[in-house]
Amino acid sequence: MSNTNNQAPVILNQPKKIKLDMSDRIIRGFTYVLVTLFSIACIIPFWMVIASSFSSEEAIRRTGFTLWPSDFSLFSYELLFRSPDQMIGAYVVTIGLAVVGTLIGLFVISMTGYALQRKDFPFRNHIMFYIYFTSLFSAGLVPFYLLIKQTLNLADTYWAILLPLLMSPWLIVLMKNFVKAIPHEITESGKIDGAGDFRIFWNLILPSMKPALATIGLFLALAYWNEWYYSSLFLSSKVPYRPLQYHLYNVINKVASLKNSIAGSKVVVEDLPGETLKMATATIATGPIILLYPFVQKYFVAGLTVGSVKG
Amino acid sequence: MKKLVALLMAMLMVLGCVPALAEVDTSEHVVITYLVTGDIPANRTDEVLAKINEKLTEKVNAELAVHWIEWTDWTTKYNLALATQSGEIDLIGTATDWLNAWPNIQKGAFLPLSEEMLQTYAPQTWANVPAENWELCSYNGEIYLIPEDEYAQWTNHGFLYRGDWAKEAGLENGVHSWADLAVYFQYIKDNKEGVIPWDANGNGSSYAPQMAGGWQTSHTPNVYIEGIGVDLFYGESKDAPYTLSNYYIEGDELVNFATEMKKWADAGYWRTDVLNYTGDVVAEMEEGLTGAHQHHTQTWTGQRTSLEKKQPGADVGFFWFGEEMGNVVGLNITHGAMAVAMTSPNPERALMVYDLLRNDPEIYRLMQYGIEGEMYSLDENGYIVRPEGFNDSTDGVSLNWWWGRRDELELRSADRDWEAIDALYAKYEEVKINYPYGRVVFDLSNIQMYLDNLSNVYNTYMPRIVFGMVDDPAAFVAEFRQQLKAAGIDICMQEIQNQINAAYGL
Amino acid sequence: MAKSKPVVNDQLSYKKPSFWQLLVQNKTLILMCTPAIIFFFVFSYMPMPGAYIAFTNFQYNKGIFNSPFIGLQNFKFLFMSGQLTLLLKNTVLYNIAFILIGNLLQLMFAILLNEVASKWFKKTTQSMMFLPYFISDVLVSLLVYNLLNYDYGFISNLVRNMGSEMAKVYQMPNAWPIIIVLVNLWKGTGYGTVVYFAAITGMDTSMMEAAQIDGANGFQRIRYITLPTLKPTVVILFLFAVGGILKGNFGLFYNLVGNNSMLFKTTDIIETYVYRSMMNSFNFAQSSAVGLFQSVVGFFIVIGANAFAKKLDPDYALF
Repeated sequence: MSNTNNQAPVILNQPKKIKLDMSDRIIRGFTYVLVTLFSIACIIPFWMVIASSFSSEEAIRRTGFTLWPSDFSLFSYELLFRSPDQMIGAYVVTIGLAVVGTLIGLFVISMTGYALQRKDFPFRNHIMFYIYFTSLFSAGLVPFYLLIKQTLNLADTYWAILLPLLMSPWLIVLMKNFVKAIPHEITESGKIDGAGDFRIFWNLILPSMKPALATIGLFLALAYWNEWYYSSLFLSSKVPYRPLQYHLYNVINKVASLKNSIAGSKVVVEDLPGETLKMATATIATGPIILLYPFVQKYFVAGLTVGSVKG
Repeated sequence: MKKLVALLMAMLMVLGCVPALAEVDTSEHVVITYLVTGDIPANRTDEVLAKINEKLTEKVNAELAVHWIEWTDWTTKYNLALATQSGEIDLIGTATDWLNAWPNIQKGAFLPLSEEMLQTYAPQTWANVPAENWELCSYNGEIYLIPEDEYAQWTNHGFLYRGDWAKEAGLENGVHSWADLAVYFQYIKDNKEGVIPWDANGNGSSYAPQMAGGWQTSHTPNVYIEGIGVDLFYGESKDAPYTLSNYYIEGDELVNFATEMKKWADAGYWRTDVLNYTGDVVAEMEEGLTGAHQHHTQTWTGQRTSLEKKQPGADVGFFWFGEEMGNVVGLNITHGAMAVAMTSPNPERALMVYDLLRNDPEIYRLMQYGIEGEMYSLDENGYIVRPEGFNDSTDGVSLNWWWGRRDELELRSADRDWEAIDALYAKYEEVKINYPYGRVVFDLSNIQMYLDNLSNVYNTYMPRIVFGMVDDPAAFVAEFRQQLKAAGIDICMQEIQNQINAAYGL
Repeated sequence: MAKSKPVVNDQLSYKKPSFWQLLVQNKTLILMCTPAIIFFFVFSYMPMPGAYIAFTNFQYNKGIFNSPFIGLQNFKFLFMSGQLTLLLKNTVLYNIAFILIGNLLQLMFAILLNEVASKWFKKTTQSMMFLPYFISDVLVSLLVYNLLNYDYGFISNLVRNMGSEMAKVYQMPNAWPIIIVLVNLWKGTGYGTVVYFAAITGMDTSMMEAAQIDGANGFQRIRYITLPTLKPTVVILFLFAVGGILKGNFGLFYNLVGNNSMLFKTTDIIETYVYRSMMNSFNFAQSSAVGLFQSVVGFFIVIGANAFAKKLDPDYALF
């Protein structure tokens, strides 16, 4: 893909700077101000979450949040890592699910998306409707639970998490829409060369849709990363390690249930932090994604502004 | 007559000989799965369970496995597990108040237990539970539940308060009424800088019914009827329990409550935005930031000790709802109960296991306290003492056995203030009545949609009444009542009255 | 309703191939769709008959299909409540606000950032905008509470320090539509912008170059090139969102508002109402009924919207 190619000499050759007219300047000025403001609005609360997670529970009792760790404390993190093997296991399981699920999901979604946007594919609307319909009607909790537990017998296996999240109508439609932007001539030229449909998809289309793959891939990975609902329904104590978010969710809940135990009378209430623990879990759950995001981002920010593209 | 013979037989069995069990075919080793709410323990539970299983294998050739319903979304998961069972669970911990045992029985989640089954496979339990209690566990003439009827516990609500501050406020004997409570709160407001008298986290949905019911039991002789789902239904009094009270449809007491709470809100006894506050009252009390916590008696027994460590001299007392009127009801014997799963492949063996868990002293103590000598020891009073540095969440055992505890086998924790606790329990015993509605099992299917709408009205209006977030209390209560009428409270009261009448032959 | 004329290539249009011929001709494309077809069959269509539960008095020991049929009984409570109009109004209005303002903002950020040359600026701001997506509703509600609560809130303290009187925000129903929409935008904009970014990134760059050479200015480029390219994406996002117009985000509303009924007038949606009503009576059948009701209404709205989109341009339609 040549448009990711963005070397310095190319930029230097651009006539852009000279041609910057009034409207460009207005747009840029406006963009810088607006985007900066919004970004700050996004980062400050997040920073407060991190700062509070390193504070003691007492320090943030009344105000709730702090801009700088007050009364520095690692207690929340100690509690989270009290059983480090659980935490590490949770990370491994989640990363494993996210990687495998994203790869399989991406492959199937992009293949389907490509086929469904082919105008010469007569069944495309029927299949699209068949897929889309499922986003409107769902069977509801009990039938789905019965399906996973009894029909497919997937309860207490990681398949129960991996499979349902593989794809969604929404991602397929999005993918279809992205692929549509790829000129039909590519398909045509492939046909002329005598390539089959799958070969056209695999050799010609796939390499030219990196931004779309990155987007859908990101969404898939995030879905796996944030997953706790299916885990909570289908993974019992028979599974040694549960996905990260569910693990964290349980830690928080455990604290809550210890403190307000419904029927337990002999529960020893220790000094369990409530608020800072919530902050710490948010920090832990978000950290790795923030590290990963720049790699994915490469494809969105690939310098597609007019000037930087060379042929 | 038959029952008497059975009883005799059962007693004979208890007295040493276990011959009856010999008739039962236990040649095949089975795993009995027990479904229970609670988090998967990260302490020494597995280790202890292995020991328990050794004994169970030896005695009935079975072992116990636990199916945890973790607290995250537990209502959904618990009910799903019951609704979709297919032979993977055998024993189910349940309760008629907080785990909807009756609706689940009506929906067919549990196996009916015949008297013969209980006699044969749970002989000790059968012998210990009196016939009238079995009757309270029956629906349509069949027994479905094994009650926790040999265990005294108190989970009636009230206020935990600081005895030291109460004394300073001039309440020499502590807080014993809502009026005292107002004095106590006002004293804190006036004299304790930075302390919120009661920093209630009004966001919790259980506060409204607890507080509203608290005022009601303190100011009327009304008796709460459980298992209907909306806390609008009370009996008139202990002398006339089978007549429904009109407290929520007419009368001044509810208006008085709303008026008083508005006064408290205006006086700043809790924070302005109490309805959205989610903070941790217990921790605040430990830090001296608030002066009260609304919770139940069991909580108080623990907090009395633990708060003393954080706030020496706090002398935490308990004002219980209903104290003014001496209006307190003993806990229903099915506040904890065990049921056998409808689809259990081994119901007989499940009962045998249950019988041992409940009655075998050795197994019982393993299950409740762990390994003696290692995880606990007994002091000269026979109270339980944990080793130095013992932490229940890493060193203890948690099998959440809330479905068949027995006072006879329980051990008292040495670090609790038993003098104070026993004094309170004695007071309770003196005035309490037994739960009077044990025999009626409501069939709510005909009025469920009215109840759901009443639940909405209740949960819309009551939090504001409870925390005084109203302009004109009388007008607000009138509006509340009018909404209740519109949602069908009359129809529901009629139906519930009819079912009570039918159950008690009135 | 799924019927639509198959678009056939010009070369083929002189003869009308039979269904089987079409199947054979397109076997590769069909095969490429097969994994997805199987997936949705298994995970969506197989359990679908179970939606029958909404019409039963569900008995655990009998299973869904042997439980007694009780017609529309499970739907009744929602209609009897007298609240339905308010709930529908709130749910729909919030969704419209989320969809319209949300997409507008996402679109704007994507386009504007695309015009900026500094890669560093783009990367950093995009990452920052993504962060709120990871903050759970529970934490968001804590943040909002700690900003706005009357006694100790951050903003309350600021206002007081400036010598003014703070408003009791948690007693002002009219403030909450704004707060909730803002929170929703704050949470979702970074995530949503990615979609438009990808669409812009994937667009035909030769057009842009040509426009630049022709001397088109920034506004013109956006107006005549970027926006038209994004139009199909906008339409599809919109169509998708419309299907869920009656479905509310329970987590967001419940955590922000809780049981503060002083705010219900402007914040109560179907999900929160159902939660309050069925808090203590666990009833799978009744919750399925509510879900079914929301789906059916959404379905008809989507069918209408899709037909409308098709009229504008057959390419825009979802199916």
